[in-house]
Amino acid sequence: MGKIIGIDLGTTNSCVAVMEGGSPKVIYSAEGRNVIPSVVDPVSHIVGDVAKRQVVVKPRSTIFSIKRLMGRKYKDESVQRDIKWLPYSIKEGRDGMAVVEVDGRTFTPQEISAMILQKIKADAESYLGGKVTQAVITVPAYFDDSQRQATKQAGEIAGLEVLRIINEPTASSLAYGLDKKNAHTIAVYDLGGGTFDISVLELGEGVYEVKATNGDTHLGGDDFDQVVLSYLAETFQKENGIDLRKDPQALQRLRDAAEKAKIELSSSKEAEINQPFITQGKDGNPLHLNMKLSRAKLEELVDDLIQKTIEPVKKCLADAKKEKKDIDEIVMVGGMTRMPKVYETVKNFFGKEPNRSVNPDEVVAVGAAIQGGVLGGEVKDVLLLDVTPLTLGIETLGSVATPLIPRNTTVPTSKSQVFSTAADNQTQVEVNVLQGERPMAADNKSLGRFVLDGIPPAPRGIPQIEVSFDIDANGILNVAAKDKATGRSQSVSIKGSTGLSKDEVEKMTKEAEVHASEDEEKKKLVEIRNLAENLVYTSEKTLKDAGDKVKPEDKKEVEEKVSAVREALKSEKAAEIEDKTKELSDVLQKVGAAMYQSSSAGQQTTADNQPPTGEQETKAEEPKAGEKVEEGEVVK
Amino acid sequence: MKNQDKVTKDKENTELKKQIEVLTNDWKRALADYQNLQRRYEKEKIEFAQYANGILVLKLLSTLDYLEKVQSYLKDDGLGLAIKEFKNVLSEEGLKEVEVLGKKFNPEEMEAIEKIDGEEDKVIEVISKGYRLKDKLIRPAKVKVSVIII
Repeated sequence: MGKIIGIDLGTTNSCVAVMEGGSPKVIYSAEGRNVIPSVVDPVSHIVGDVAKRQVVVKPRSTIFSIKRLMGRKYKDESVQRDIKWLPYSIKEGRDGMAVVEVDGRTFTPQEISAMILQKIKADAESYLGGKVTQAVITVPAYFDDSQRQATKQAGEIAGLEVLRIINEPTASSLAYGLDKKNAHTIAVYDLGGGTFDISVLELGEGVYEVKATNGDTHLGGDDFDQVVLSYLAETFQKENGIDLRKDPQALQRLRDAAEKAKIELSSSKEAEINQPFITQGKDGNPLHLNMKLSRAKLEELVDDLIQKTIEPVKKCLADAKKEKKDIDEIVMVGGMTRMPKVYETVKNFFGKEPNRSVNPDEVVAVGAAIQGGVLGGEVKDVLLLDVTPLTLGIETLGSVATPLIPRNTTVPTSKSQVFSTAADNQTQVEVNVLQGERPMAADNKSLGRFVLDGIPPAPRGIPQIEVSFDIDANGILNVAAKDKATGRSQSVSIKGSTGLSKDEVEKMTKEAEVHASEDEEKKKLVEIRNLAENLVYTSEKTLKDAGDKVKPEDKKEVEEKVSAVREALKSEKAAEIEDKTKELSDVLQKVGAAMYQSSSAGQQTTADNQPPTGEQETKAEEPKAGEKVEEGEVVK
Repeated sequence: MKNQDKVTKDKENTELKKQIEVLTNDWKRALADYQNLQRRYEKEKIEFAQYANGILVLKLLSTLDYLEKVQSYLKDDGLGLAIKEFKNVLSEEGLKEVEVLGKKFNPEEMEAIEKIDGEEDKVIEVISKGYRLKDKLIRPAKVKVSVIII
């Protein structure tokens, strides 16, 4: 079952995406970029970044902007205009169609585009690890039937079955899921590398209808770069009397610097342009370019260009017979829409926040991939997998909530962990299933509880009790506890573990945030208490096991420290408990060391004198009256 | 009556079969996506380890360019040593300069910035050096190329 890829076959750059695991993913080119320059050397079969690098050397055989000729007659007004500035040779081909001529061979725009598509296909195949034979390709909304047909043919030449040709603004709207949001009227503002398009779409019967389009076929990021470059060059010329644009090497460095500054100023307020030794002065001394460009200055420089986009927007609205207020959603497409000023201008014009969360270079391809997913049956109403809104866990010693499945885990999922008992001869454990973000059990919601009994009497830490959580696709949580020795098990099934109302989830999450620090203290106190109690147990066990191997004075000291810890435990003072525990621990170590010295075999102290570092523990309840809850230990 | 029951049952059966088919399909698709992801993850992990430094090294290259440019004017011994040491560090990370001067122009590893009249497609000057990091081209060389201008 092959994948259907979505392709944005652009004038300047192309991009490809595919549905994976229910969401669109952009495929990177072999050169490691998210877009491929739409540049082709048809004779040497070089495409993309590599072809772009040779434009200077082979301007007549390196074809770019081929999209401008797609499906057009040679005599078309637009073709005649483009001939004037495109460096390669454009001729009249069969049926009066525009074709390009390279080294005496003619190529149709379809063939040239097919080479870009072949490269895209190859990159996609290497990414997906399988054949790709089907695609959805986007075209500008204003493309007529002949241009769409030519695009389809290009796909076929490249060995792709073009399942659908869709409009670029429609693809962008799909990428934002606007069809699902019931957005009725949409404006798509697309300012790319070399072209500007504005479209107004209307959603009817689940299909987007293009109501009107407008734009400027020669306005884009390149013009913005040019303005910045001129400014830098002119400023330099004023100061040093040298025009950097006349020196191809300096010009190249200036061009790189201008583009870098433009990009930097989308996120910062000021960019520093440093190009040491950019040229030589008239006296032969080296000259450096060192300038600061502020965002305000940049915005002033490009203001005319941005304003130039507004007129087509107005016309487009008028053609669509819509007013600004009729537009439900605005979508931003194309790299230039990253510029804060562009975004602000569009926002102010419509009086509404435009959508811009999807990468504007990728949004069209993403939409095409989604359309591909719909056609391939992969995207239906988009299978929305539930997530657990809150953390699920169990209560462990000292009323601590121990998480098993963290919040926002996609269901279905399952998780199991082995716990143990905390007291000697403990024959049953109680599993209290908790939901919530708070560290203390009592502050979370108890979803249910059950007791697993019949555990054979054994020292603490020996029994292995496996607790498993399983949430199925319907959100039903099954919790089971199983004693590995006897195979005895108990379980509980809880419905609606994910089905909390939005308010409930919000409330619980908020509470967790509010109480975070106080909860942390509470938990820490419990941990300290657990540690202390554990050490008391170990100390007494050590003394008992060692018998008369311990010197009486040592024994007495340990006993004293044990009562001191016990006394401290009666208080809620964490520091005091910690201190006393430390003292006991030191004494105990001394005793241990002394015992090792005196006897070669040495009595074994229990391995469990230290609870594991706050990891998995289970609450286990000793049923006998008077006994308190003790802790479980991890058995990894 | 019985017949009607059978008809409903059959209908139910067909419905269920259809549903099974859809579900199996979805399940296989998800499994396939997952397996692909796993495979790619392994691959990317290896690549990441190999090229994690690439971005940083690429940024440092422009600084190296400047230093070399400065040195071409100053011809200072101390600076020369400093540059050499800097290059040593980078080459320990797997950085290699692409040799292009005098070679035939090749867009796979070079970008033409300027052309002048001369021999066909020959690199006559390197404007900024090209580099490979562990065999992967991270920056093409920017070059001046001679071409036969007719």
